[in-house]
Amino acid sequence: MTTATLVKQKTSVTLRLSHFIGVALAALILISYYVLPFVVQPERGPSDIATLTGGRGNNEFGLAVNGLVMLPFAGLGALLLGVWNLLSPRHERVIALLLAVCGFVGLTYYVIFFRQYLETSADYLSSMSVGFWLMLGACVALVAQVAVPRRPAERDYTPRAVLSNQEMVLAAGLILLVIVVGIANPRFLAERNLSDVIQGHAYIAVAALGMTMVIVTGNIDISVGSLVGLLAIISGRLATDTGQIWLAWLAPLFVGALFGGVNGFFVAYMRIPSIVVTLGMLSIIKGILLIWTAGSRVVDLPQGFFLAQMRPLNVPMPIWFMVVLTIVVALWMRYSGLGRAMYAVGGNKEAARLSGLNEQRIVFQAFVLNGVFVGIASVLYATQLTIIQATPPPNLELTIITSAVVGGVSILGGTGTVVGAAIAAILLNVIRTAMVFINVSPFWLQAVQGLLILVTVLADLLRRRRQRR
Amino acid sequence: MNKKSLVVGLGMTLVLAVAITPMSAQERRWDGADDLPVNPLACPGEEMAMDMEGEEMEMPEYDGGLAQNAPDKAGQPITLVDVPKLIGIGYFDATALGMQQAAEELGNVTVITDGPTEANIDDQITVIENYLAQGVDGVLFAANDPVAISPVLRRALSSGVHVVGYDANSEPDARTWFVNQAEFNGIGKAMIDALAAEKGEDASFGIVTSTFTTPNQARWIAEMWAYANKCYPNMTWLETLEAQEDSVLSFNQATTLLNKYGDDIDGIFGMTSVATPSSADAVTQAGLCGEVAVVGLATPNAMKPYVNSGCVKSVVLWNPIDLGYAAVYVMRAVVDGTLVPGAMSVEAGRLGELMIVNGSEVLLGAPFIFNAENINDFDF
Amino acid sequence: MALQEKSKLQPAPDDGLVVRIRGALLSQEGVLFLILVVSVIVLSLNTDRFLQPSNLLTQARLLVEVGLVALPMTFIIITGGIDLSVGSILGLTAIMIGIGWQTLGLPLELAIVLALAIATLCGFVNGLFIVRVGVPPLIMTLATLALYRGLAQGISEGRSVRGYPEWFTALGQGDFLGLPTQIWFLIVGVIVSWVILARTTFGRTLYAIGNNETGARFSGLNVDRAKLLIYSYSGFMAGLAGWIFVSRVTTTRSDMGSGLELDVIAAVVLGGTSIFGGTGSITGTVIGMVLIQLLKNGLALNGVTQDATIIVIGLVLIFAILVNNFIQGQRQKS
Repeated sequence: MTTATLVKQKTSVTLRLSHFIGVALAALILISYYVLPFVVQPERGPSDIATLTGGRGNNEFGLAVNGLVMLPFAGLGALLLGVWNLLSPRHERVIALLLAVCGFVGLTYYVIFFRQYLETSADYLSSMSVGFWLMLGACVALVAQVAVPRRPAERDYTPRAVLSNQEMVLAAGLILLVIVVGIANPRFLAERNLSDVIQGHAYIAVAALGMTMVIVTGNIDISVGSLVGLLAIISGRLATDTGQIWLAWLAPLFVGALFGGVNGFFVAYMRIPSIVVTLGMLSIIKGILLIWTAGSRVVDLPQGFFLAQMRPLNVPMPIWFMVVLTIVVALWMRYSGLGRAMYAVGGNKEAARLSGLNEQRIVFQAFVLNGVFVGIASVLYATQLTIIQATPPPNLELTIITSAVVGGVSILGGTGTVVGAAIAAILLNVIRTAMVFINVSPFWLQAVQGLLILVTVLADLLRRRRQRR
Repeated sequence: MNKKSLVVGLGMTLVLAVAITPMSAQERRWDGADDLPVNPLACPGEEMAMDMEGEEMEMPEYDGGLAQNAPDKAGQPITLVDVPKLIGIGYFDATALGMQQAAEELGNVTVITDGPTEANIDDQITVIENYLAQGVDGVLFAANDPVAISPVLRRALSSGVHVVGYDANSEPDARTWFVNQAEFNGIGKAMIDALAAEKGEDASFGIVTSTFTTPNQARWIAEMWAYANKCYPNMTWLETLEAQEDSVLSFNQATTLLNKYGDDIDGIFGMTSVATPSSADAVTQAGLCGEVAVVGLATPNAMKPYVNSGCVKSVVLWNPIDLGYAAVYVMRAVVDGTLVPGAMSVEAGRLGELMIVNGSEVLLGAPFIFNAENINDFDF
Repeated sequence: MALQEKSKLQPAPDDGLVVRIRGALLSQEGVLFLILVVSVIVLSLNTDRFLQPSNLLTQARLLVEVGLVALPMTFIIITGGIDLSVGSILGLTAIMIGIGWQTLGLPLELAIVLALAIATLCGFVNGLFIVRVGVPPLIMTLATLALYRGLAQGISEGRSVRGYPEWFTALGQGDFLGLPTQIWFLIVGVIVSWVILARTTFGRTLYAIGNNETGARFSGLNVDRAKLLIYSYSGFMAGLAGWIFVSRVTTTRSDMGSGLELDVIAAVVLGGTSIFGGTGSITGTVIGMVLIQLLKNGLALNGVTQDATIIVIGLVLIFAILVNNFIQGQRQKS
């Protein structure tokens, strides 16, 4: 009884804190929309925001001053807060109302914005891309505060509970790092740079999804680096030889699944440890690649082939792939039979077998799915540049495994989510770029990276230990 | 107890990191250049004077090694092994092609190309050891590390196997001759001049290289640095970033440079045939063609799309096919005894007479500059 | 996987010579040894240069670095752990020798000792975090793989150190009592490691940890100390390999030893050490590394180029384990 009351007291305190955050964010959004841009440059009307944010960071510094740059962060904060409040059993009327008003103002703004966009076909979206969609989502979530019915109380929604998983720790670290580096060098926060940084490792994030599945079942795949190289060449060769772009996009998925299947067959049915099989496959695939390509790169790719260079709704395609696939896979892992079975197999093989799960088939399927995701990643990799180099990126498998592992996937199997892996993949690239932006000697880059991986892992362990107590 | 040890462990790591950091803090050059002496060429406009001077310069003594007690195979069929830095990349594919062409022309030479699958100094040594055991008449090599490769090459020489280097040198006494594609200072000059022509004498630029430990790249950067300091003092040297031999990483690094420096960057140098096309792609996809120049070392086939689209004006390189071709001719001449220490030139088939420089190096020629007019004439 | 465990732990029942020989031949190491013999015979059919002493000695020289590191790796894998940071420790050692000697102006002997101490410390740090904090070995060494390599790169700033004196290169290039000098290190290392693993309580402890760590803990074995020791040993051996490597190639670069961990792990698992822990032997590891080295060499002497060689190595790795699994499975049944 006493502990229960203690928890209750604590939560009421934090809720009061969240009141404050909500109000602050609402104020920030309002201020950044209606006041700041025009204080700095009053001669420009609301429709000129685009020109303020546009260009390739000619005025990043101006951005930081006029507050527009805070939009994405405020938006993200409001969105999280809104969703939290929505789900929270202790839903607060006052804060909901406040956020809803804020969301309404935002939506009105977007209506005006969109009308003007259609009329003048100006380049608003291009300048606002990530921030725009984030804010739009936030506003919708905020308005929905009032309308949507409450969920029954299931668990505690204290910050502590929310921060108690690796994804949240990583996301918080990521945002903190972005803000700190942004303060040191405001150009880091430019729209273009942030989207480039995310895009740069999007294909690694996609590959890390598959890797997560394999690791969750208690296995590992170190052949992915070579496989990405091989599949990219297959994709390119198909595009140049047949001209069938869809074929070129889809074939790597199937070939990837095939190689994944071979790995899975040896691991699951032949009972060879995965590290041995994939170590062997690593050199087999590499040898095939070398003999087949003999070092010649693929050039003269057809126009429509460059999937990764497309920008639907002005967000780069790799980011779409990463976000959509991560969400789908995260839900699938959590709710589908096979997804849950993977956790079960990784957690305790014997128990899984005793409870009637076909452990061999599940491991096999995990490897096949991994192959498919490597296929997707390799298409993103192949279509990023105008030519495809015949040599696979060195140490790619290490980057992918590191992403999965830092993302909270226990190498012993049984735990971990794909969301963490995706965030970790992005984090790795943010670290690399941030080092450049704050002028850390490039010689020390790898050491810093290693240290950060260590710190992340330690933070996670510490957190888990505290939870256990 | 656990918490305590955690703190201790973390503390130790930090102390280790902090203790080591100051050791490097004194050196502020992050340009990726090496420490060897540099020899920048004359600035544009002063070249005539330099040329005259050059002819008066005395030829240094031959400093290469010699194969000991090599069997006399003058005019007889010989088998050579070509060990590039690594196999599976376009550049060494082209050198191997040149070697096959030379072998075909000569008729009495067989060349096998085999090398490590990664640019790894140890693997390269292993490959050479294997071929020495197998028994070959000559080794052609492009060293991953000039010093590391030397012991095995010396052993080859002492067991009567001829050794000729190309592309990347070893220590001089560990081989007979080295076919130099273009002198380091020549490359440095060509690169900097190309940027100056495109972006003016006060351009600021960044560099995307493979790794700081790659000897050739470090040498070129050092020469570029020296030449830029000498001839274009107003140029701004922004930053050098590493990108391995990874095309997407090169793309990301070039993008990072563009985003970091915004309008303050006028040009990007790509130091490898992976980094240059990727940098060109980064500039293209950022919509900065014309605003930011890309100059670099790369093979023409990789650069055609960018040169033809007008995004890249000049690509600096020698012809790697000719490089491989010349290496085989030099080897043949060594075996036949027609190229001996003290020679001033060597006959190399379709390439004509090649000059000998620096004691024991055969110079292929000046670096070639590919541009929109001529790039489509080349296919390698 | 459960199938292949223990074969090593239980002493073979003493049923006469034939049975014992049969048992030895059909054990993990026996099967592997047969594969080795068959490969050597096949590879030497086409070329008489393969089995020449000079060639074999050269191969032995090239084998030493991987071999030295494979010994502690066997220990670590037997306990169910792994050490991915060995290649980076090798690189860091090389850099520390060069920096200590040239930049700090220490006598070369002292620089070597210092570098070896740092290498051991690196291994010790791995062990400390694994034991005290409970970081899984794979994650810990994955992090230090980047960290140690990064330190090597940061300290050296991408510069090489060259120009070592003559006596220093003797270790890597010279001969001693008719064999390449560094082979003696490997021989001593193999004997010591074999004795430790097969003949001491400490060795038994390692198997016990690999089979059931909690059980080992409850039966009063000092699991933590054992783990700390083997990871430090791994660091030391990687350092020793680094020293030998620098001496062999007479230069120092921060990228030395990259990819070493995979070669080492390949040799160890090919030698029949189960990645899940609990089984394995030094004999197996030695056969494993010799097999890989001779395959590479023999294939090259038979005119197979590197690109095809790595395919063969990959296939051998998978199928050697497959065949062994099959035979061990049959044995269990009978």
